[in-house]
Amino acid sequence: MSHSTEIDSKEAWSGGQSPFRISYGKMMMWFFLVSDALTFGGLLVSYGFIRHKYADVWPKAENVFTHFPFIEKHLPLAYVGLMTFILIMSSVTMVLAVEAGHRNDKKKVIMWMFWTIVGGATFVGSQAWEWFHFIHGTAEGALRHVWDMDSGKYVEKVVYGANMTVNEYGVPQFANYFFFITGFHGFHVFSGVCINLIIFLNVLKGTYERRGHYEMIEKVGLYWHFVDLVWVFVFTFFYLL
Amino acid sequence: MSAEFHDDYPSYEHMAHHSEEEGKKTRKTLWRVFWIMLAITIFELVMGSLAPGQGWTGATWLKFLFIALTLLKAGYIILSFMHLGQEVKFLKYIILTPYIVFMSYGIFVILDEGVYSGEPINRTRVDPILISQQEKLKAGHGHHASAPAEGHSEAPAEEAHH
Repeated sequence: MSHSTEIDSKEAWSGGQSPFRISYGKMMMWFFLVSDALTFGGLLVSYGFIRHKYADVWPKAENVFTHFPFIEKHLPLAYVGLMTFILIMSSVTMVLAVEAGHRNDKKKVIMWMFWTIVGGATFVGSQAWEWFHFIHGTAEGALRHVWDMDSGKYVEKVVYGANMTVNEYGVPQFANYFFFITGFHGFHVFSGVCINLIIFLNVLKGTYERRGHYEMIEKVGLYWHFVDLVWVFVFTFFYLL
Repeated sequence: MSAEFHDDYPSYEHMAHHSEEEGKKTRKTLWRVFWIMLAITIFELVMGSLAPGQGWTGATWLKFLFIALTLLKAGYIILSFMHLGQEVKFLKYIILTPYIVFMSYGIFVILDEGVYSGEPINRTRVDPILISQQEKLKAGHGHHASAPAEGHSEAPAEEAHH
């Protein structure tokens, strides 16, 4: 924990010390996260706008995401719930790694970082599985107007699953936003796993032990919690509401 | 370096330390936060599957409850996991203020512009097949709880799938 106490505002801004009492790296990570959060916020605002516009033809997520690996049953949103749990869990293991770092406990840092990486990789894999089922669709498909290149006009055709132009489940905009928002988030998780892996290797090598502090764990931790934070919102606005 | 700082630390990086007892206390708090977040998520999922008309037909109070619980979870992540609650207030302000200002505008845009542009006259590109499917579904059910997918086709095999 940073031992930051409330400081007198007159004193703080008169020079000599930073009124923010935080290291350069952590502050820059926070600034980056604010800008990244604005990007995700913009995506969700745009999603909300289009969803209002197509309210009556917008598919319900619990009718779209009904599959669960290895179980041949109709389980709406169960897998997304599990994915959410995995990501929250990996956020907890991350913050435990940060806590171990504060005590310079290398062994515990290694253990918790390892489980964080496992959780993150599981989440990315689950995301890929969900995309696969969304793109392939149901066995029945749905009748839609599809652009025919040869005749140069729209023809009636049964479509299966969803892509950027046709969507079995409803309006194509639903699929577009699904791919864009969960894709952008999934890419963040993927890069988070890569960054965590690099830091994990550094911990193994003893880089931070020699440095005397494990503040780097805190910085990557901030990024990792941010990824979890975004998912909490995507989960609510895309799947629950 | 140390002359720059009016405290016991050579630099702010070295503030990243705490004792064994403090660690114990912190871990206890973190696990409590985890259980709260897990309980909220399970509650959301159960409510989501129990509520008969979800999506745009769902109860307004439930939607607001979901949004409130989401903000609660976000608060726990930011203040507890990201330790923003322990930073000085100036830092909290410079991080939260710009975001809240921009997002308030974004929410205003959704609620104001999104609704009026949703008038059917402004929507020329929705597949008529999809609209007729939706209308048939809306006319066909409404009383039984396990309604088939609204966005799904009217294919006869559809019933067997559910």
